[in-house]
Amino acid sequence: MTPQFYLFLLVNGLAQGMLLFIIASGLTLVFGVLRIINFAHGSLYMIGAFLAFSLSTVLEEGSLISFMLLLLLVPAALMIVGLALETTLFRRIYDQEHLLQLLLTYALVLILDDTVRVIWGGDIRNVPRPTAFSGSVDLLGLSFPMYNVFILGVGPLIALGLWGLLYRSRAGNLIRAAASYPEMLGALGVNVRMVMTWTFLMGCGLAGVGGVLMAALANIDLGIGMEKIIECFAVVVIGGLGSVWGALLGSLIIGVGISFIQLPLSRLAVVFPYIAMALVLIWRPWGLFGRPER
Amino acid sequence: MRRLPIVALLGMVTLALICSVMPAEKASAEKTIRIGWTADMPGIGATFYKSQKQALELFIEETNAAGGVLGRKLELVIRDSKLKPDVGATVARELILQQKCDFLVGPTSSGVALAVTKVAKEFKKIVFFHTSNTEKLTTTDFHPYMFQVVPNTGIEGRGITLFLSKKPYTRYSFIGPDYAYAHSQWDSFKANLKKLKPDAKILDAVWTKLGETNFAPYIPTLMARNPEIIYTNLWGGGLSSFIKQAKPYGLFKKASITSLYDLDLLRAAGLDMPEGLLGYCRCPFYAIDTPEMKAFVKKFYDKYKEWPSDWACMAYDGMLALTEAIKKANSIDSDEVVKAIEGLEWNSLRGRRYIRPEDHMANVGIYVGYTGKDPRYKKFLILKDVVEVPAEKVWLPVEEVKKLQAAGK
Repeated sequence: MTPQFYLFLLVNGLAQGMLLFIIASGLTLVFGVLRIINFAHGSLYMIGAFLAFSLSTVLEEGSLISFMLLLLLVPAALMIVGLALETTLFRRIYDQEHLLQLLLTYALVLILDDTVRVIWGGDIRNVPRPTAFSGSVDLLGLSFPMYNVFILGVGPLIALGLWGLLYRSRAGNLIRAAASYPEMLGALGVNVRMVMTWTFLMGCGLAGVGGVLMAALANIDLGIGMEKIIECFAVVVIGGLGSVWGALLGSLIIGVGISFIQLPLSRLAVVFPYIAMALVLIWRPWGLFGRPER
Repeated sequence: MRRLPIVALLGMVTLALICSVMPAEKASAEKTIRIGWTADMPGIGATFYKSQKQALELFIEETNAAGGVLGRKLELVIRDSKLKPDVGATVARELILQQKCDFLVGPTSSGVALAVTKVAKEFKKIVFFHTSNTEKLTTTDFHPYMFQVVPNTGIEGRGITLFLSKKPYTRYSFIGPDYAYAHSQWDSFKANLKKLKPDAKILDAVWTKLGETNFAPYIPTLMARNPEIIYTNLWGGGLSSFIKQAKPYGLFKKASITSLYDLDLLRAAGLDMPEGLLGYCRCPFYAIDTPEMKAFVKKFYDKYKEWPSDWACMAYDGMLALTEAIKKANSIDSDEVVKAIEGLEWNSLRGRRYIRPEDHMANVGIYVGYTGKDPRYKKFLILKDVVEVPAEKVWLPVEEVKKLQAAGK
């Protein structure tokens, strides 16, 4: 095993982590502001993946423009779904206890998953990678899929975008204020409800981006939503619920950790996210970037 | 007066019930030979179902056009087992009791097949299995009223190991989901290979989550193991997904992933399939050079405008054997036909074949070859340089079969 190979493993793990981050960031953003653990986030991501599949069948196959269109249209469509969910359901449970919230979002998982089953059936699908990303690049003498390079680029862009939005814009000020002092913000004449709705929609959009990227990375089926939401929970527990940077770190730890632990202990890779989660819970229950609850 | 609508409704329901049941039971049962099929229609069964149905319907259409069997027309009655063993048992009973079927055709799933075979045994109705291939059907769960025309799991596993052991490959690894069945498949592969090829170097396996579709995190680990042959129990959608994802990593420049390369897989992978991968299949229409297969493929393609999958060929082969046995017995009585089946020789699509009397297993082997392009098939690769590993070399010896059959009783 050469040092180059370890570097290769690291890059491959980072690419996987980035994809996880894109999905988990939506979950953590929504929690940070709305204090809701949206169990249905994974289902939204799955809907995004299947929507991407359906749209890809009518768009030109292999063209980069089609793929970019998917990355725009699918999140937009999910934001519309999100708007419907937020105004009819989520809005009613913001100040309810966690148990009730869990009940609603879990019920949504069942409803949304079955809706996907009714619309798309149980078949395995995927989205063809655009020709520009279907080859591979030379990385330290080994072949590395171009598509993973693309994901490695998109992840940091989204992280930077979120950071800019949250910490360098007026909208971000409002969102952060709505998270900490919603009553005060309301008293200042800001439409807090609107801020909350938009935050929720952003979370849905991120699930959509994740869905598109995943559908072109691997096959998608009815199980991917549940699988991913569990991983996302591991991510936000490790990183700290509500912290975007925590989600980034948590995702990368999981992505890279799975990559490395397989070499000596192949069977442990499957449980690595949960071991990491358990360790963090013991040592720092509020997560690496989180703050202890007041 | 207020009661009248309910009485009328009840009357109509009864009438409707009688009407719907009567013709099916009486009018046609006298003349036709009814074939009941416990098909697996939904989910992953769907692609199998489509091509099996095409083949069965083609067979019945032809046979009836030629005057039927023993002067009687064939009729296919289909029920959905839904990939669920309990549903399979229920529909098998319905096909026998309500639909008065004379023979049964098996499903796709092995789990359902094991449930259906019990019902066939109970009612002494002959069933044949064309796609579901657990070795239990002819060993521990054996009964005389069944036969199998698909290479079973034992023939498949030992067959590919025998083939590999004669090739110069020395480094072997495995990728598969981390659950009992995959572990036992890898363990028996290792044990067989060690026997046949003591110098083989068996590397660590790579275990994924069950149902994993994203293989990217696992592929570099396989690259690090540096195998020549990657054995796997991934198949169908999972396998084509793995191949598509592993290709840009350059994994197949040095290694082959060896599994079931049936026509549906080849079509699903399309032109993403790398050339030169070593795979096996159960009944490749493109590699079997018999007049029967040629005629079948032509008829099939003319009718459906697509090529017959392995499942279609084997379902058709099963019908060929069944009708041959009926003709030989000159009866549709189960016990008479069973006598004809034991040792039956028939012109299958795969050439002249026979059914071994001890376990009613047809001598069907697996076909092994290397993926390659062929000008006749523009959208997918096929296996080339295909050879059959004959069943006689790898099926369980009769003594062992008998031991297992006795243990199953």
